[in-house]
Amino acid sequence: MEEQIAELAAKLAELEAASGGAAVTNTMFAEAYYYLTIPLMIIIHAGFLAYEMGSSRLKNVLSSGVKNILAFAFMIPTFYFFGWYLYWALPTGFTGSAGPAGISGGAYAASIALGWGDSAQYMGPNIADNASGVFFGAFAMFAATTASIMSGAVIERIQTIGFIILAVVLGSFAWVVAAAWGWHADGWLVTQWGVHDFGAAGLVHAVAGFFALGVLINLGPRIGKFNADGTANHIPGHNMPLTVVGLMLIIVGFWGFLMACVIVPGEAWSWYGDKMATIYGTPITLSALSFNILMAMAGGIIGSWLFTRDPFWMMSGTLAGIISTASGLDIYFPAVAFIIAFSAGIILKPCADWLENRGIDDAVGAVTVHGTIGLYGVIMLGIFGAGYPALQGVAGEVPTINLLGQIVGAVVFFLLGFVPGYGCSWVLNKFGMLRIREGAELAGMDLVKVPAAGYPEWGGDVPVTPAHPAE
Amino acid sequence: MFPYEEASWSVVDGAMFMGWGGALPGIATAIAAIICVAVLVIGQRSETAKAKAFDR
Repeated sequence: MEEQIAELAAKLAELEAASGGAAVTNTMFAEAYYYLTIPLMIIIHAGFLAYEMGSSRLKNVLSSGVKNILAFAFMIPTFYFFGWYLYWALPTGFTGSAGPAGISGGAYAASIALGWGDSAQYMGPNIADNASGVFFGAFAMFAATTASIMSGAVIERIQTIGFIILAVVLGSFAWVVAAAWGWHADGWLVTQWGVHDFGAAGLVHAVAGFFALGVLINLGPRIGKFNADGTANHIPGHNMPLTVVGLMLIIVGFWGFLMACVIVPGEAWSWYGDKMATIYGTPITLSALSFNILMAMAGGIIGSWLFTRDPFWMMSGTLAGIISTASGLDIYFPAVAFIIAFSAGIILKPCADWLENRGIDDAVGAVTVHGTIGLYGVIMLGIFGAGYPALQGVAGEVPTINLLGQIVGAVVFFLLGFVPGYGCSWVLNKFGMLRIREGAELAGMDLVKVPAAGYPEWGGDVPVTPAHPAE
Repeated sequence: MFPYEEASWSVVDGAMFMGWGGALPGIATAIAAIICVAVLVIGQRSETAKAKAFDR
């Protein structure tokens, strides 16, 4: 008897040791999973950098790059100072009250997301916390992505500091409010309207795209973009191949972006012990993402190639394909994702032309690719995904995805982008901090902003793309 | 289009995409394939027409 008890005790100890090891392995996996999304998302910024510099004329190439790099740099500390706090504080609205899931509200946010007091233990190195830093890092990269989306639209005529202020308002406030409301289990758009936006088509892309539109209205077009009769001139960037490769890098990075939208299993903060979940607690697999992202990329490329034959619009079509299906990448059937992405690729260029014909100079098509197509994606899910429980749970206890809810979400995302973008840029314009002086714009912003030359062996006496058609 | 009788994630134990168990996946796959072929046909025609413009 004693021998048997001893044997059982030994077996129990063995099992406990094994389960402890498995728990450690899972924790390390979870930490490494999110950690690796961060460099993948930095590839998005490498892509935006290349794409914006390629889309700039030779005289502005480095200033466009400096602006983009600075936006990235300012986004991280400002998101650390207050953006991360706002995400946890605001899901139920601006009151900051706690939500039913118990992971939101001002008090909760103050306990985990501020860099001082007791909360600071979750905002710095802590041997007992393998999650906070990598979550923060992934969200900070989402924030930086919004700033980069806006950055491309405003190249070649915006002041650096004014742009940085706008980037901070967008990346550490506007999209954060959208995420709190529509990308959190306590978010009121989710709990009351059943909004589902798994891959952030609305709350990242549309918010950033329409923020850019608000800025563009106050910023105005580049000198020479429009003729006296209102017709538009094409202002080609200096390096289309660089632009196209940049777009491809953005798409590579989006695999990390979408990977970071997944909650891994088996941790105290996980939704499931054995299944991956969306941020709403609904089940998902990385296989689902692989099927649908690839089919969406293909649909977007084919749709945009059909009528444009232009590599810039084809690669933008790839992005449009992903963005148009991002809301439902967890539940679309791959062929459905392909068809939606194909339609997005087709409407992309006409939507951009429509905007241009109204006097908006969006240098890279960001408003259309991210804004218009983002909202298109949110609404498409309301049509195709109606009836799916929007949160973990039973329909009735939790809301289901529905067209009206997705439309409400789309309107809120539009307003959360456009209103701050227009308002802040209007104020900056009044203070003379928005647009660079005309002489500097004509001479080239690199001469004003950057003590270096993009192509030093291509001398200043070499003819460059004219700033004005009359030159 | 939730593919289970009870609209609850707790009953989901397999395929969970919209239309599972119905005709949608097959129809969508057929449409996607037709799109691919149609785009190739249109592309071939338009490229040939443009190339002919350079014939001497």
